[in-house]
Amino acid sequence: MKKQALLLLCSTLFFACQKDLAPMSGCTDNTAVNYSANAITDDGSCIFFSTTPFIIETPSGFPDMNIPTNNPTTVEGVALGKKLFHDKILSGNGMQACASCHLQPAAFSDPNQFSTGIDGLIGDRNASAIVNVGWNNNLNWDGSAITLEEQAFEPITNPIEMNDTWINVENKLNADGEYPTLFKNAFNIDYIDSNHVVMAIAQFERTLISANSKFDKFLRGETQLTASELGGYAIFNSEKGDCFHCHGTQMFMDNLFHNNGLDPEPFTDLGLGKITNNVSDNAKFKTPTLRNIEFSAPYMHDGRFSTLEEVVEHYNSGGEYSITVDPLMKKLGVGLQLTNQEKQDLVAFLKTLSDSDFITEK
Amino acid sequence: MKRIFVIFTTISLVFTACEKEEEEIIEGCTDTGAVNYNTNATNDNGSCKYNLSLNFTHTVDGNLLETDQMIYSNAATQNYSVQTLRYLLSDITLHSANGTSTLLDEVHFITISDPSTFNLDIQDLNSANYTAISFTMGLDALKNITDNYLNESFFPSFSWPDFMGGGYHYMQLEGDYTTTFQGYATHTGGTDGIDFSFTKNFPISLNIANTNTTVIINMEINNWYSNPNIINLTTDGIMDNANKQALLQANGITDVFSVFYPIN
Repeated sequence: MKKQALLLLCSTLFFACQKDLAPMSGCTDNTAVNYSANAITDDGSCIFFSTTPFIIETPSGFPDMNIPTNNPTTVEGVALGKKLFHDKILSGNGMQACASCHLQPAAFSDPNQFSTGIDGLIGDRNASAIVNVGWNNNLNWDGSAITLEEQAFEPITNPIEMNDTWINVENKLNADGEYPTLFKNAFNIDYIDSNHVVMAIAQFERTLISANSKFDKFLRGETQLTASELGGYAIFNSEKGDCFHCHGTQMFMDNLFHNNGLDPEPFTDLGLGKITNNVSDNAKFKTPTLRNIEFSAPYMHDGRFSTLEEVVEHYNSGGEYSITVDPLMKKLGVGLQLTNQEKQDLVAFLKTLSDSDFITEK
Repeated sequence: MKRIFVIFTTISLVFTACEKEEEEIIEGCTDTGAVNYNTNATNDNGSCKYNLSLNFTHTVDGNLLETDQMIYSNAATQNYSVQTLRYLLSDITLHSANGTSTLLDEVHFITISDPSTFNLDIQDLNSANYTAISFTMGLDALKNITDNYLNESFFPSFSWPDFMGGGYHYMQLEGDYTTTFQGYATHTGGTDGIDFSFTKNFPISLNIANTNTTVIINMEINNWYSNPNIINLTTDGIMDNANKQALLQANGITDVFSVFYPIN
């Protein structure tokens, strides 16, 4: 306020000396989006930057989502993130978007065991599904990223994924016909940088919430489960099936890492151990949520199982011993010893976690 | 104390008489060992607060726990290792001679994968003679309710399925046993609607004024399996086994926990 008064005083003095210049009017508040450095008198036209909050609804049985204070979800940011997620402009040859390997009908995962990057190079992990990731304490199969913002930095420059450079991506976006305005509206920035690209993508990913499956409707008393589904539900939550220790609660994951006995030593993929350099973490991988698991085949970090039946059979037959195998894989080589009916029931229950809205919503 | 105050006041009055620009009396905590020691305070107004550190330690046969090593042997003469140890202590409370009690923490989660959970700092304790410390292993029936602790770090991994009574695990003690490396999972909690939490109360003699004080709460892991009930490790889960839970609870009450405090 004082500054404005001073400015006004200076302007007046200025006028006194320079009568030949026409008085300029406009927005004189430098915090406004239409601030005019040349304006001398404020004409009340100032427009201030504002966004519309995008309210994340916490599903029943979920904790509050941990949203970074410097990147609140906004309607503008989420819409921008969604556009970026589906835009091939983020890849080196303009042929791939995030959505190319994270397909919505597959719960934003890749139906292929390994994804193929723009140069035809093939990875060695199955592209993770993106379901309720706003509640994940860490991301990627090996926990190599903590936040969604951090995670989104990686695929764009990875040579076996989108293989571009951030400088190049920034230049393309800044030269684009639409993006400068969209970023201005979402973040009030005049130059698009990599930080704001990943912030927008992270905002969009936080809205990929699935909590309207048949199972949810059952819990809300809106529908019934079949006898087989109920049987699977009981096995899932018993010591007999013991699925719940890692896939418990309505989140159907534990936010932890485990070696679930897929392979004996020597390990070909160290997983978490490669990130932490701790041998006790070797061959441990992040527990995925089981929500929409029917849609996100194939399964495991390396996509080795193509059906849920194969997954259940892995646990049913017990798994392989190794130095880091989880103690909860208690009966190695023996397994759960479920009957065929129990195995079918378990798969039937897993399919009640499918949320068709989630994979079709625009 | 009273005498010091009287002398102090007298001096002040004399001082005032001689010098008009006398310093005014500033109320505050004058104990340099207190966390809120006020260097400017001239008169102690009893507001001093003290720091107490609770340290949670874990031993097997009296030696500090080493994880992932098949080096332990229980009362049933089984070899075993410890890979995971997580547990909840609740209602951690100090009791003072005048009968008042001070709740230090409602629920504290300890996991050996995160050493920062081994320490609980209490910054705002009043000076008093504390005569006992008590805590509950696990969560009592009033607390042990599904969705009660959604935003705590032990959610979701510590949840106990509604199918088996709901709520939370009290403890997850896991590792391998025997030479063929089978997994065991000593998971305690409320089972079949029965509350298996238990409260331990340890007499102490602690006057925490003047210094930072550390009190150690130790869990002797082997004692979960030994006294009075010798418990065999098995590959069977025990969360649906109220009998096993009762045996573990009895052992837990006997001698799993001990408390160490500095002798003044």
